Amino acid sequence: MSNGTALNAARRVPGQIDIWYFVLIEAIIFSSYFITYMLYRVWESPLFLQSQVHLSQNFGALNTVILLVSSWLVAQAVQAAREQKFDAAQKLVMMTMACGVLFIISKIFEWSSKIHQGFEFSTNRFFSFYYFLTGIHVLHVLIGFIFLGVVIYQLRSPQRRSITVIESGAIFWHMVDFLWVIIFALLYVMR
Amino acid sequence: MSLWHRVAWHCKNNPKIELWIMWWAMFCFYQLFGIVFALMTRVMPPPKPWWDHARIVQWFNDNHYGLLWGFGIIFLVAGITASMNALIAYSMTRMSVSRVFSYIYLAIYSLSTLPGMLLTAILLTVGALRPDRDPAIISWIYDAAFTGFVGTMGVFFIGTSVWMLAVLLDKNRVFPLWFGYLNICNLLTEIVVAPMWIFKEGPFAWNGVIAFWVDTLVFVVYTIAFITLLRRMIVREDFGDGPLPELEQRA
Repeated sequence: MSNGTALNAARRVPGQIDIWYFVLIEAIIFSSYFITYMLYRVWESPLFLQSQVHLSQNFGALNTVILLVSSWLVAQAVQAAREQKFDAAQKLVMMTMACGVLFIISKIFEWSSKIHQGFEFSTNRFFSFYYFLTGIHVLHVLIGFIFLGVVIYQLRSPQRRSITVIESGAIFWHMVDFLWVIIFALLYVMR
Repeated sequence: MSLWHRVAWHCKNNPKIELWIMWWAMFCFYQLFGIVFALMTRVMPPPKPWWDHARIVQWFNDNHYGLLWGFGIIFLVAGITASMNALIAYSMTRMSVSRVFSYIYLAIYSLSTLPGMLLTAILLTVGALRPDRDPAIISWIYDAAFTGFVGTMGVFFIGTSVWMLAVLLDKNRVFPLWFGYLNICNLLTEIVVAPMWIFKEGPFAWNGVIAFWVDTLVFVVYTIAFITLLRRMIVREDFGDGPLPELEQRA
């Protein structure tokens, strides 16, 4: 009996099953955006290549590093919560949020610099996709703050501290990070 | 027992009869909405945003009777949307959250029928009934109808956010958590559609693959989910205050 319980615990999927359904639906929706982008990239290849030159790969890489670090921090926070180190977990989640804020500031900076250079939402198809994909992703970062806020709320009181809810918040944040890696590859790297 | 006897028995004795009437009204309304907007009036999928005056006038001529009969039906039955709003508001009163949620939802969705459906129906009916007008005016009506139909999503954004919050905060488990998350997907489509105000062609135009097709697909999945879950809620309803019993528990 105890072996069976141990086995079940080992096999347990982290977080709520509902958050996985959510991640799956989000992955399908974003896949449809990515496929659309790829199709237009094939159809209007010269325009996309010319426009991509105006994006800074270093800036995109910096964004990616910020979010990868934030993902690592939230994973550490979940581990700390599992080990009952709730204060440490709280600090790690706050550091994760700080990375998110840094990411958004860097995105606003990048957008404003592009607008000053004359590349706006309706300049051409590539920049429409650029603002759309990065914009919808930033919206997910903002929603991620709400998820992380719930995680902090859970960690604060001994009456709450549901590991499943904490893991669910972390799963959403990992998804936000994962989506950015694909957006980075499509918009900045693939030439 | 004949069908009529069964219906009569349920009307007299079934304590959930009012909820079932609301649910069936909502179910029938969505079928009718699909038939009218997709098959009769040809509003869904939307025609091209870049057409010139002559082509737009031709579109009105081609769909003259479909527009008149289709929207005639809609003008007659548009009020049925109230049954859907009432049932969704009822679902929130059955939750552990404050009734304020259901009041906000009702207020917002009472407004939503106008930009989401009636404004388009009125404009396109005017266009169909006044073929002698200046083609430039007919084109303006066409633009106003379709931008209004696809683009005025603010009320839906707030309404969906309210329902999402209620589902996620509810302790009575009236709806599963995944439905709360599905609300996030639906409310994001209300933002994704915004670029259609700028573009006349491509993926972000009012007939574009992102602004229309992906958003509509998400909306259809969301609608099927909430119609099914509202039916399940009525079956589970025990008219109590605490957690809603699961179907297995009731069995």
